[in-house]
Amino acid sequence: MADKRVDLKSFSGSQVGKKILTGITGLGLTLFVLMHMVGNLSFFSPDEQAYNAYAHKLMSLGPLLWAVEIGLLAFVLVHIVLGVRIYLGKRAARPVDYQTYRTVGGASKQSVASRTMIWTGVILGVFLVFHILSFKYGPGVDDGYVTTLNGEEVRDLRRLMVEKFQEPLYAFGYPIVMLLLGFHLRHGIWSALQSLGAVKPAWSPVIYSVAAVIGALIAIGFLVLPLWIFFGGGA
Amino acid sequence: MSKLMTIHLKVWRQASATAEGRFADYTVPNVNPHMSFLEMLDVLNENLTLSGEDPVEFDHDCREGICGSCGIMINGQAHGPNARTATCQLHMRDYSDGDTIVIEPWRAKAFPVIRDLVVDRAPFDRIMSAGGYVSVNSGAAPDANAIPVPKNSVDEAFDYAACIGCGACVAACPNSSASLFTGAKVSHLALLPQGSPERKERVTAMVTQMAEEGFGDCSNHAECEAVCPKGISITAIALMRREYVKAAFGRQ
Amino acid sequence: MSLDAKVPAGPIADKWDNYKNTTRLVNPANKRKYTVIVVGTGLAGGSAAATLGELGYNVKAFTILDSPRRAHSIAAQGGINAAKNYPNDGDSIWRLFYDTVKGGDYRSREANVYRLAQISNTIIDQCVAQGVPFAREYGGLLDNRSFGGAQVSRTFYARGQTGQQLLLGAYQAMSRQIEAGQVEMFSRREMLDLVIEDGRATGIVARNLVDGKIERHSADAVLLCTGGYGNVYYLSTNAKNSNVTAAWRCYKRGAYFANPCFTQIHPTCIPVSGDYQSKLTLMSESLRNDGRVWVPKNAGDTRRPQDIPEDERDYYLERRYPSFGNLVPRDVASRAAKKETDAGRGVGETQLAVYLDFADSINRLGRDTIEARYGNLFEMYQRITDENPYEVPMRIFPAVHYTMGGLWVDYELQSTVPGLFVLGEANYSDHGANRLGASALMQGLADGYFVIPYTLGNYLAGITPGTAGDVSGEAFRSAEEEATDRIQKLLNVNGSRTIMDFHRSLGKLVWDHIGMARNADGLRLAMDEIRDLREQFWQDVRVPGENSTYNKSLEFAGRVADFLELGELMARDALEREESCGGHFREEYTSPEGEAMRRDDEFAYSAAWEFNGTPRDAGLHKEQLEFENVKLTTRSYK
Repeated sequence: MADKRVDLKSFSGSQVGKKILTGITGLGLTLFVLMHMVGNLSFFSPDEQAYNAYAHKLMSLGPLLWAVEIGLLAFVLVHIVLGVRIYLGKRAARPVDYQTYRTVGGASKQSVASRTMIWTGVILGVFLVFHILSFKYGPGVDDGYVTTLNGEEVRDLRRLMVEKFQEPLYAFGYPIVMLLLGFHLRHGIWSALQSLGAVKPAWSPVIYSVAAVIGALIAIGFLVLPLWIFFGGGA
Repeated sequence: MSKLMTIHLKVWRQASATAEGRFADYTVPNVNPHMSFLEMLDVLNENLTLSGEDPVEFDHDCREGICGSCGIMINGQAHGPNARTATCQLHMRDYSDGDTIVIEPWRAKAFPVIRDLVVDRAPFDRIMSAGGYVSVNSGAAPDANAIPVPKNSVDEAFDYAACIGCGACVAACPNSSASLFTGAKVSHLALLPQGSPERKERVTAMVTQMAEEGFGDCSNHAECEAVCPKGISITAIALMRREYVKAAFGRQ
Repeated sequence: MSLDAKVPAGPIADKWDNYKNTTRLVNPANKRKYTVIVVGTGLAGGSAAATLGELGYNVKAFTILDSPRRAHSIAAQGGINAAKNYPNDGDSIWRLFYDTVKGGDYRSREANVYRLAQISNTIIDQCVAQGVPFAREYGGLLDNRSFGGAQVSRTFYARGQTGQQLLLGAYQAMSRQIEAGQVEMFSRREMLDLVIEDGRATGIVARNLVDGKIERHSADAVLLCTGGYGNVYYLSTNAKNSNVTAAWRCYKRGAYFANPCFTQIHPTCIPVSGDYQSKLTLMSESLRNDGRVWVPKNAGDTRRPQDIPEDERDYYLERRYPSFGNLVPRDVASRAAKKETDAGRGVGETQLAVYLDFADSINRLGRDTIEARYGNLFEMYQRITDENPYEVPMRIFPAVHYTMGGLWVDYELQSTVPGLFVLGEANYSDHGANRLGASALMQGLADGYFVIPYTLGNYLAGITPGTAGDVSGEAFRSAEEEATDRIQKLLNVNGSRTIMDFHRSLGKLVWDHIGMARNADGLRLAMDEIRDLREQFWQDVRVPGENSTYNKSLEFAGRVADFLELGELMARDALEREESCGGHFREEYTSPEGEAMRRDDEFAYSAAWEFNGTPRDAGLHKEQLEFENVKLTTRSYK
């Protein structure tokens, strides 16, 4: 057989490399989302300023924050590019579709979640831009969203959040997107672990269930906040 | 004597690779439940022949689930509804009187239709030629018992070696990926000491060829495992990926 | 022409070495100047193509299927014999040789069989090195099991899929040569004729089954590895595409067809369930290791098997053959089953079946052990019959499985046409009148991996390289024309009966008269009726479709047409052989106990038939079989 060496370029373009990189970036983003969710939940702390304190602490990390943000951006871009390439490849690989198609069940891990990864992904990508514009680049200290934390004037992100989630578009749009995130993770976490070869056959059903639980937890962890605010909480 | 059934079929008819295809409706009366699915198609073809129509072409040979020739989408499922069953092993007792069954060929860019339900699976042969073997010339082998192989390694290798190359994995995969087929051969040979010396070259060559043939990427839907007549596990795909990473980043 | 088997001189144990030591060789630089055609890519063809490619010959390989990996060798279940004697139970090359000659009822050529036994061990080595996952014991060494006709455990196996694993080994070795450019693969091609120029085979004419185009291929030698002709019976364990066409065309071009009536009826197949049945499924002979064959003692006993008490069952194989019991050879087991069903003791709806019962083994060894040994076979049985063999005994009945007859070959596997070599089941060589279990895989691979590389070299060394046939020459042109005419003729009949209809009628005639028991009247009748059927076929068959597209009906029509000729020759051969031996059981020639009665004085020969117009006019040539090492005795498994 031909002695073909694999370098990084051919690796990342190969069917194996694409899946492994998608898996690694996906898991990285999952980890971020999980931390983000935990941070959000500080909103429910009895200490009214806990959320602003958490936000402020993050903002004051300086260069470290920049590094993390650039890293996240890179992960997001790689994840998107590979996801789109895989999708286009899949379309090209079956030019004529079946008239009738259905899963046989059994060992199959095919689900609505697994078949809509590209669409939940695209929606999440668009949402991400919208979300960052709304909050990260939304109104800040200069616009009057100021609060005092330990004697220091900081951005009142809590107020911004409460105001935003009192609008029906945000209050219901966000939970819907978070449900889609849950779906994306439901297949994504399992798929990433399978791609990385971490799934032994005996563990497979367990990991598949755990992925579903994590997906659901993250979705719920995110979507309670907007709904809670909309229905009068946190005012 | 079993009760005879009437079965309605919607069958994909396509005169040649370049011709337009369409569905045709047929009815097969007097279907015995003990008939195999292919025997039911035989009856249809006998009827078509006598009525002056061209029979429905489908590949078949051993009719006992081992040669991998047969393979059609039956009501949207590769090889039909039963686990670990090739089309030829499916029996009409799984259907009821009056049922309508939709029959389509495997659909993938890499498996172009030749006629009706017959497709060209030559890409599988090319993936095998790329590296699915052990380089040992006839006569150059040491005594068969010179290298003991742990029983569990052989048993696992066998599970992957059982692949019949039918293409159901590709047909059922939403992405038309050939990862299970390729992974099964990579895994079979990687698990045995005889296949180890060439494992890096093998996995690299086979994975490259698989992509060149126009199969899609694997998205871990695991539909392939569910439809595989031999029940080959997607662990084969995980093993293939591990082998590939080792080939890329392991010590040369 | 007198038949020269070209058996080398010397004691039997030295013949193959003597041959190899004195044979002519082709030097490495010259090998690439020769082209060899290999028709068929099963165990024999696949292994031959791979090995010849490795040696440096240019190989053109042909299969009628879409991939070489699908050849019917893939369906062999049980195992492959070798004289390794790993179990230390007294096996040896001599014993494997002896068992095979005896198993074949003394109608095979000693020297060929001895060579087969010698080579058997090397085959196992080769296959293991290719990565064939043979069953192993916990210590990591190879496991063996026993098979019919032997009192030692010499069968290597890979679950119930040994043929598949061995074929994939050969296919992979061939794939390596395809990648290396040594083997050029032609899939979906059917050989329609052999081309002979200046008295030697120089090519073939083949039809591309996708577009119907006739292709001409020339070569310095042609290897025919196209398997057996069991499908002449319509219902058999053979794959649907298995056929005699390639071999038959060679016969019509001058290759002698030997012992066509020697067909193997395998005792353990799933019984026929209805008229629609398209093929029969074998249950591996290995099942007889742990299964016990029985019928009710009383004819017409329709109780369920579990309701028949022990003392009303007749374990007839154990009763009649106490030393081999359920492991008697195939021909003996099949005939014994027929005897029981003929006497009205058959079981099941059709009464054409006997029980193969695992209850005792399950009690003794546990269900898990039985499942580990035969799980996939039990599953296969249940899938087809909808019955659970762990709970109710299997119903089995004999079915056509293998054909010992085939094109006559000499020690070098060369037919009577110089340059045409015949390997594997397609030749008649090593199994005499009955093949023992686990010997077909052994023979196919022996021929391809280890015999043909030497014997072909000896032939090619006498041929000037580059003198292979000219495809634009007269011989190729006329062969193509004949093939085209024949196809057109088939399409033009446009009669009222389907091909399958004719094939079924033929199958019934052959099964009834040239099946498990034969007699002179039946054989004469069969000859006439097959001839009549053949005439009807050419007047009344309906072949749908056209030539220029993929058209399986057209393929089948051509094959059935050839079977309709072969069937008559089989009857002729069976009629001529006035003795019973192996799978050939003439009712007129039985011992007082009802066993087969050989007549060595008159019939210790291989019957090689020369084409001469119609089958009934074929010319008989006899190759007298010399038994210098094995004493001819009445085969006894009692």
